[in-house]
Amino acid sequence: MSRATMNIAAARVASPRLSHLSWLLLALALAVGFGLPGVVASVLVLTLLTQAVIGGMLAVGVGFLIRQNGVVSFGHAAWYGVSAYCLGLLLRHDVLSVELALVLALAVPTLTAFLLGLVIVRVPGVAFSMLTLAIGQAFHEFAMKAQGVTNGDDGFAIPLPDTLFGLPISTVQQPETMFVLCWSLLALVVFGLYVTVRSPFGRLTEAIRENEERARFIGYRTVLPRAATYAISAFVAALAGLLFALYNGFVSPEVLHWSLSGSALIMAVIGGSRLLWGPALGAVIFFFLKDLAGNMTEHWPAMIGATVIVVTVLMPAGIAGTLAELFERLRKAGGRA
Amino acid sequence: MANALLIQILNGLVYGGLLFIVSVGLVLIFGLRRVVNFAHGSLFMIGAYVGFSISLVAGFWAGVVGAAVVLAVAGALLDVSVFRPLRRQDPIATVLVTFGLLLILEDLANTVWGKETHSLPLPEMLAGSVEILGQPFPTYRLLVIAVAAAVGIGLALWLRFSRVGLFVRASSVDPVTTAVQGVNTDRVSALVVAVGTALAGLSGTIAAPLLALSPSMGGSILIESFIVVVVGGLGSFSGALIAALAIGQIHNLGIIYVPWAATMVPFLLMVAVLVWRPTGFAGSHV
Repeated sequence: MSRATMNIAAARVASPRLSHLSWLLLALALAVGFGLPGVVASVLVLTLLTQAVIGGMLAVGVGFLIRQNGVVSFGHAAWYGVSAYCLGLLLRHDVLSVELALVLALAVPTLTAFLLGLVIVRVPGVAFSMLTLAIGQAFHEFAMKAQGVTNGDDGFAIPLPDTLFGLPISTVQQPETMFVLCWSLLALVVFGLYVTVRSPFGRLTEAIRENEERARFIGYRTVLPRAATYAISAFVAALAGLLFALYNGFVSPEVLHWSLSGSALIMAVIGGSRLLWGPALGAVIFFFLKDLAGNMTEHWPAMIGATVIVVTVLMPAGIAGTLAELFERLRKAGGRA
Repeated sequence: MANALLIQILNGLVYGGLLFIVSVGLVLIFGLRRVVNFAHGSLFMIGAYVGFSISLVAGFWAGVVGAAVVLAVAGALLDVSVFRPLRRQDPIATVLVTFGLLLILEDLANTVWGKETHSLPLPEMLAGSVEILGQPFPTYRLLVIAVAAAVGIGLALWLRFSRVGLFVRASSVDPVTTAVQGVNTDRVSALVVAVGTALAGLSGTIAAPLLALSPSMGGSILIESFIVVVVGGLGSFSGALIAALAIGQIHNLGIIYVPWAATMVPFLLMVAVLVWRPTGFAGSHV
């Protein structure tokens, strides 16, 4: 047996079937999503939760890249924003049906990210972070400068149609229903990423993350899987941007600005990216803290900056990771007793 | 026509020179510490404000010197409190911590100097213009070019002939072997980081009369200097010089001849260089 086939065989052995528990958790998550608007009476809280879930989706994309490729993106707002602009521009010029526009708004950023990924994933470590920051800002610059197309700094309102897949458009604009949609999609995305991570492809990207040179020596191509991982994380960011565009019905260069990329990264760091849902938890914490801080102080940026430093130094696994470790320790202690 | 072009090339040199002073600070720190300071742009911004405040009281030159000194002290503190404790961790940890610092520094500037923009007035001696081949050119811009040249030459000599310079060069080639040879990186790094941040502060003050001061001014310079060091090769002194000068020219000529694409050109150049050489055109040595 050649070395390559042995590795494929090993990879197959190493990817066990999904447990019943993971299906159960998905069902539970979906049920919670459908139940929550009935329990949470306050529209304000529900609005905040919807924003948090959309932000959480973006953060999950960023976290997935950290987890699988071991690199930190400072430019994921690019894919979020390109998706939002794609939808906006296609509808504004009335070239396609809204359903097709939705598909294109996901496909364009994902494919662009894949092609760009083929170039940039070869750049290692910290340089990758610098590069993504610069590239993300290039999209922002373009949206600002190409006034004829994007209306520059002012942005534009997206002319949404009256119905979407047969449902009234208010479905995606009222927090009660939009929350359920966003939450369900987030649950499905996290589940999809979970399946990806456990597949042979997921194992391969982890091997490359740990030691790229060694993976190459055993005969794997290493650029393609990493570019694919980058494209997947861009797809998740694009989905978040699409939801944002539908919910707000408006796009401006703000959705491409690097401070949004930074916020998404902060959410991923606070939540922790070792667990796929960690960044989403980080997002909920981020939005509620921000809301809370907004009433008390003007120093939200300094507060969040200090939080990032504290979490990075004292809690590198993030809140979700630390919770998981704690849970693991409790279970072990319980088993011994 | 040729004269007008010369003026434009000089303008490009002004911008390229400023970019060089900012970027070379990043290069020095990366050369020794193997980390990238995401708060470097914010230190540029703080430098501009400190220079502005001092110059209101004690004049322009005191502002320039004062900003460099204050930022050097801040740099030494940064090394002791951030870079040194995190040196055994993944460089990403330093990136995240300095990113947190960036947010804090912007908030600080907002609190101390307010959201409204300020501008730094020039001393009368420098406010005029000189004639170059029959075209007027602001004296102050010539001064910026001269300062950038002085910084470049001074640093090159320092790196080439001093002991610390030798350590920085050695460490940028191979940090492990350098440590094995008995070089204590920690002992020189406070100095090197202080020089790097002092350059950020110096360039901030020097750039202040040409820009409007605002707490968010660090963002764009950070991104531009990242383009410079990624294109030039992380940790490469000569790479940063060439890349900064090239981007200065491209940026400036772009604004005149292809205004709609000018801001995009440096980004495209960066991607093009990376397709060709993923580590930048000079690799990663100082």
